[in-house]
Amino acid sequence: MLDADARVRGAVRYAVDLELPDMLVAKVLRCSIAHGRIIRLDASEAETMPGVVAVLTAADFDQPGGPSLMYGANIPDQPVVARDRVKYVGEPVAVVAAQDSTSAEAALGAINVEYEEDAAVYGPLEAMTAAAPVLHADHPDNRFVHGKLRHGDVQAGFDAADEVIEETFTSPLAQQASLEPHTAVAQWTDGMLNVWTGAQAPYTVRGVLAEIFGIPPEGVRIIVPNLGGGYGGKGHVRIEPLVAAVAWKATGRPVRLTLSRAEEFVTVTKHAAVITIKTGVKRDGTLTARQVTLYWGAGAYADASPGLIRASVPRSVGPYRIPAVRVDAYGIYTNLPPAAAYRGAMSSQCTWAYESHTDTLARRLGMDPLEFRRQNVLRSGEQYCTGETMHDVHFIECLEAAAEGLGWTQPLKRGSGPARHGRGMAVMLKSTIARSKSECRLVLDADGTLTLYTSTVEMGQGAHTALAQIAAEAVALPLAHVHVVGPDTAITPYDATTSASRSTNMMGTAVLDAAGRLKDRLRQIAAPILEVEAEALSVERGEIFDDSEPESRMSYGEALERSGLDSIEVTGMHATQGGLDPETGQGVATPHWHQGAGACEVEVDIETGKVRVLRFHAASFAGRVVNPSLARLQNDGNVIFGMGPALLEEMVFDQGQLLNPNLSDYMLPSLSDAPEEMGSRLLESSAGEFHGIGEMTLPPVAPAIANAVFDAVGVRIRELPITAERVLRALKGGAGG
Amino acid sequence: MIEFRVNGEVHALDADPARPLLEVLRDELGLRSVREGCGIGVCGTCTILVDGRAISSCLTLAGLAEGMDILTVEGLSEEGALHPVQQAYLDHAAFQCAYCTPGFILATVALLQEAPSPDEATVRAHLAGNLCRCGSYRNILEAVRAAASG
Repeated sequence: MLDADARVRGAVRYAVDLELPDMLVAKVLRCSIAHGRIIRLDASEAETMPGVVAVLTAADFDQPGGPSLMYGANIPDQPVVARDRVKYVGEPVAVVAAQDSTSAEAALGAINVEYEEDAAVYGPLEAMTAAAPVLHADHPDNRFVHGKLRHGDVQAGFDAADEVIEETFTSPLAQQASLEPHTAVAQWTDGMLNVWTGAQAPYTVRGVLAEIFGIPPEGVRIIVPNLGGGYGGKGHVRIEPLVAAVAWKATGRPVRLTLSRAEEFVTVTKHAAVITIKTGVKRDGTLTARQVTLYWGAGAYADASPGLIRASVPRSVGPYRIPAVRVDAYGIYTNLPPAAAYRGAMSSQCTWAYESHTDTLARRLGMDPLEFRRQNVLRSGEQYCTGETMHDVHFIECLEAAAEGLGWTQPLKRGSGPARHGRGMAVMLKSTIARSKSECRLVLDADGTLTLYTSTVEMGQGAHTALAQIAAEAVALPLAHVHVVGPDTAITPYDATTSASRSTNMMGTAVLDAAGRLKDRLRQIAAPILEVEAEALSVERGEIFDDSEPESRMSYGEALERSGLDSIEVTGMHATQGGLDPETGQGVATPHWHQGAGACEVEVDIETGKVRVLRFHAASFAGRVVNPSLARLQNDGNVIFGMGPALLEEMVFDQGQLLNPNLSDYMLPSLSDAPEEMGSRLLESSAGEFHGIGEMTLPPVAPAIANAVFDAVGVRIRELPITAERVLRALKGGAGG
Repeated sequence: MIEFRVNGEVHALDADPARPLLEVLRDELGLRSVREGCGIGVCGTCTILVDGRAISSCLTLAGLAEGMDILTVEGLSEEGALHPVQQAYLDHAAFQCAYCTPGFILATVALLQEAPSPDEATVRAHLAGNLCRCGSYRNILEAVRAAASG
């Protein structure tokens, strides 16, 4: 990485490290009940306490010239702080800004709130029943989105099948759990809002804050330092409205809000999911039809869910040749914290279902899981259930690379005594954002320095390094001459978001576009000096030259100087057009398909049910690898991250109260969980396009492990995480697949 | 008044002895490599060395460090040159977001002082108290192996 030296010196600065003169500390009062009414909220005592500068409550909103209470990029259903109703434990009710955290904490304790509790509902299936309490009056069945896909005659497909198999898979709420907590600093200066925040989508944050405060987007400046991890949890809009609103009351002084770990747990989660998948298959292994019904528990507010749940529709079917497909994906309000993107967004839950199910199908037919997939997996040129033609797809190569790494065809030592070994595999397809845009700016100075202005967020994935490499190669300058600036919405151009593994592809292509323009400009300014037509000039290795006259050449710097220019500035852009019909799911789901696979060997202790992953081999399709070291870290990181929700991670609630809001009771994978052997393969193609690799080997992890558990001990686990208790219970119950 | 040595320098601070050492090092001395992750001593992010032993600074009261010798990553390099463990982490790209990296590096320094040539099981057991959510564990193991043999 460009700043590797700073990283090992502990010198990288994150949002949590921000210090501004005269800065106040914000603390949030959070609701203690899962659902109900606020019948009294009295903050008058808190306002007079020593050190307290501002106390923000819902009463501060919707006044002339003041901020609006309700926001939401998709559905404006969420209050900045609760007004009359509260909908989950941990929902913000008031915010205090004070001189220090002790004063702020004391003030929180002095705010009196009385609630009247209503019945609450926590599971997505329960929330859809007629008896369930209603969270939002305009959605009386608690359903706020219904994504659909209709392709071919599903019933005819089931009728033509030799076997029709239906299974239901569940996946609980989980934590993105970046080790750096959410932090934002806000300051109002002359009617302009400045926010420093650890956010993955600076322009989304800017747009939402501008709407809340009724000011133009240019009146909001978002600056994003390095992130100490994001994984989707810092996507969309998170704590920025809270801190911007309390700063608005603190007139001019900067205010910082850093969440505690317990607050992290109630700020954003992975979607809970219940997924029923039904497939028709012929004895020869041909698939005839598939129906997928997905119930997404989205928490109390829509947040980023509408877009994510629509995106889950094409992500839920799997990379298989199936002539008839029907998908229904429901987004459902529950009395739990809002859910949003989680590394491998929606695909993790979907792949858990369709790849466990694929294994069930193969076993039922008595086929080898790799052979069964080889027979059915989609190849380039074939049609997906969205109606679009697949291009540059290498699902089978990913599977084969993972299988080969593991030694799929080698004999397996089945183990002895209580320790039984098994092998499993899984493959996944994921769409990126169908319609989005990335812009950048390149500035070449006369001293040969190239500066890339980009709103791509550096969150550990090494995006700034990869983009600098792309710029250096395209402009033909040494990497050491390239600097990356951003994100800062006052100076770096628009980018939709750093998520969905889109940055290397989208921003990388924008950089190539800018580099092309920069070279054109260099040709134009050098042409009159060299007395050749601009088209005849080559721009390579830091020089502009005429191929036919080797002496006729000059450096970029010389061309600028002799043209009387200090610098050349160009912009670059890459945009994709696509989208699916909301009623039929037909259209273009993605500009390119994300592809990954995993294969593993596990050991299952039949006396305790404990599952240990001994070896894991992962493969993803990279199109063109920019930085092999960073790319391997993505593949590895996905596997380790994926082992969390596969084996360990589950937010456990009792009546809406989280029982494990800390990293002791909620376990993340450590070195003692890491497989003894890890393999990573990155596949490239002659087409040479950049493909996203930030998530591809994550969704296969849980189903590959579950399939290996089945191979080892013959029980099919359909609930995540695959805990020792679940495996042991399945073993005792004798439940087989 | 609390007095202790930090990165070779003696500091006498007028700080509440009941404050977490983490806060005092960050806020009073500006040592930003000391970072909070979980706040309850289980993630290893805030690891520092106190008299050569790796401890969680979020759980240690500042007053308990009275008279002790504290080392943070800022004090690890000598005259700007990276410590061999830092160099090994850099050479093996053993980080992504790097929020956890100072804690890992100090835990590795403590391990190699105790066991200069640890086997892999020892490394895994010793570093299991440090979490890397980005999942760079393979590279971290490679870095520790290199630092141990180098």
